[in-house]
Amino acid sequence: MTIRLKLLLAASVIALGIAQPTSAVFAQTLKVALGDEPLSFDPIATSDNGSIWTQLLIFDTLIRPDKAGTGLEPGLAASWEVSPDGLTLTFTLRDAKFSDGTAVTPEDVVFSLKRAGVDEKSQWKRFFNPITAFKSEGNKVILTLEQPFTPAFNNLALFAAAILPEKLVTEQGDAFFEHPVGSGPFMLSGWTRGSKVELTKNPHYWQEGKPAVETVELDIVAEPTARVLRLEAGEADVILDPPLNQIADLSSKDGITVGSAIPYRSDFVLLNNTRPPFDNVDVRQALNYAVDKDQLVKGVLFDKGKVAATAMPVMAYADESLKPYPYDPAKAKELLAKAGLADGFSTKLLVDSGNAAHRNVAVALQAMLGQVGVKAEIQMIEGGTMWTTTKAGEYDMALSFATSDTVDPDQLIGFLAVNPERANAYHTQWQNTHLNDLYAKERATVNGPERGAMFKEMVEVFKEGAPMVFLYHPASNWANLNKVKGFEILPTSNFRLEDVTISE
Amino acid sequence: MKSFTSRYMRSYAGVAGLFMLLVVAAVVVLTPLLSPWDPFAIDFGATTLPPSRLHWFGTDNFGRDIFSRVAAGAVIDLRLALVCVFVPMTMGIAVGLVAGFYGGWVDTLLMRITDVVWAFPFYVLVLAIVGVLGPSEGNLYIAFFLVNWVGYARIVRGEVLLISRLEYIEAARLLRFGGPWIMARHILPNAVSPALVYAMSDAVLTVQAVAALSFFGLGVQPPAPEWGLLIVDSIDYMRQAPWMTLFPGLALAFSGVAFALVGEGLAQTLRPEGR
Repeated sequence: MTIRLKLLLAASVIALGIAQPTSAVFAQTLKVALGDEPLSFDPIATSDNGSIWTQLLIFDTLIRPDKAGTGLEPGLAASWEVSPDGLTLTFTLRDAKFSDGTAVTPEDVVFSLKRAGVDEKSQWKRFFNPITAFKSEGNKVILTLEQPFTPAFNNLALFAAAILPEKLVTEQGDAFFEHPVGSGPFMLSGWTRGSKVELTKNPHYWQEGKPAVETVELDIVAEPTARVLRLEAGEADVILDPPLNQIADLSSKDGITVGSAIPYRSDFVLLNNTRPPFDNVDVRQALNYAVDKDQLVKGVLFDKGKVAATAMPVMAYADESLKPYPYDPAKAKELLAKAGLADGFSTKLLVDSGNAAHRNVAVALQAMLGQVGVKAEIQMIEGGTMWTTTKAGEYDMALSFATSDTVDPDQLIGFLAVNPERANAYHTQWQNTHLNDLYAKERATVNGPERGAMFKEMVEVFKEGAPMVFLYHPASNWANLNKVKGFEILPTSNFRLEDVTISE
Repeated sequence: MKSFTSRYMRSYAGVAGLFMLLVVAAVVVLTPLLSPWDPFAIDFGATTLPPSRLHWFGTDNFGRDIFSRVAAGAVIDLRLALVCVFVPMTMGIAVGLVAGFYGGWVDTLLMRITDVVWAFPFYVLVLAIVGVLGPSEGNLYIAFFLVNWVGYARIVRGEVLLISRLEYIEAARLLRFGGPWIMARHILPNAVSPALVYAMSDAVLTVQAVAALSFFGLGVQPPAPEWGLLIVDSIDYMRQAPWMTLFPGLALAFSGVAFALVGEGLAQTLRPEGR
């Protein structure tokens, strides 16, 4: 069977070669080694990076963040129009096809967006259910909102708003996501859980002449050092997240290029605001003064990152002049004394045992907090249980992080600072009614300086209230063989492969 | 007792093992007194220095002296190994003794419980218990206490069954000595030696198990210089600073061999000459 299949493949390659004598006959394979494994290909039922990144290679969205992360660019929609009151969004679809050759229709778009907004399984309902009416006209899709909700437009660039073929999804149900069909640059051709994902070029992709490579192999290699060894042995063309301490060494090697970009991500220590003494703002601020963030970036991140003023990444509407809490242990002690804790206190710090950088950060944090009398006992837990543990409020302090999937700050501010909301200020239970009001107002204000000022104010209130210890924005790092051109990690932390080329 | 000591001293393996354990003990006691380095002091100005006269085992990614850390880690690892062997050993001996001596339903009940625990792979059960209780040194003890006694219970029960049939026990019964008296005075001393030999090989496994659990983040928590933790934290540095992995690994191997040799010495000493 396999031999016959191979013969068939060979025959078709030869046939293609004869039919198009100008195109390259060599089937190029790009091998990417990464640590995050996809769990599911259903875009509305996932929130882990491994799944999101892979889905974005298979599916398309109407609009998508541009490579600079500052705006949105056309995806499946060739153009769009937003009414001045922000209540009507009109998209004109381009002539695109799914990988099985059927056309992407406005009905598919309506189906997919409705699914994201109302389907039982959707983890992203709130992002899409403000859209209340859907209409398709020719090659246009018209979405209407009852209430003004500015992020609605941006949210259409989220992976969860991926456009799926209505017919196949309704026919096959959950089985569809075992062998999904999308309009993205690649289609899934093999998936071995825990080991690798194989992708093949979508022959019907709407961007002419792309992708440049024939097949892509995403190899799941959990151990960072093992990824480096693969790259050096030529068994991987690109690796994500090499160990931070090995990057300098890697960049000096012949034939290898390293790259680094700071995406919209922030790392911080969650403080359980329901537990004393973290219910006291003086204590929370004291901890922020007690941490030498420059030292963390230098000593633990090997300069691959920058100090954070708050947990909000520096993105649209950010006030770039906002200063981080300075490192000032004397001030920290003073604030602790004001809170009646001149002798410090004992507490516990949860850390994801699988995150090497966080383990090191925790050790450094423990030493820094010890300088002001705060004795933090490190408690490592398995990464998968971190979310449920902090959600249940069963923690004092927890080292964590957040990434933005969109270029609009609405998603993250809602996640990190608003309570009640999806995560209740990311499980800290911190609450500020003024910030909550601004959040509601921001969502009903059209894009512009007025909305920008609201974000700036929210971030200031957030910094002042210090529900977390703000640490740093780490860089995403990668390394590739020199023959690979055009690979990069985007501000939204994912990567696109349609522009990647391999020169032999 | 004199004959025990002199017989043990005739075993080369036993003497070597004892000597190695004494070396470990000497390092543990003397290092805090002689070493100028605090095993916890972070110095970002002196990271990943190779071994030198100043830092015998080099420094780690936080600039901490690895020799001091390995020596301080010995306290943790050996404490865990000894407690996690001797407490379950005592429990297991008691269970085996009672089950083997009384027989009948007591035996059936105790041995079926033993079988149930025995049926689970060791690591699976320990991981499950620590997973439920949460990782800490205290919970590590609980997990080992709950799991590790079964081997001893089985060994001791087998011995007790053999000994109970011997004539001197028959005699003691005929003389109407009480059950507990016979167990404690006449059976226990003769049934316990294979358990002691087993305990030494168990100690080897326990040191490794403790390190392995730390490796998974389920044992002792950082920044404690437990050997398994030192090794897992060194993985990303293995190619640039191999001494970070090498020395804790050697310490682990050294004490493992020491326990194994002592076990061999005990086995040679306690082997009944007639049997």
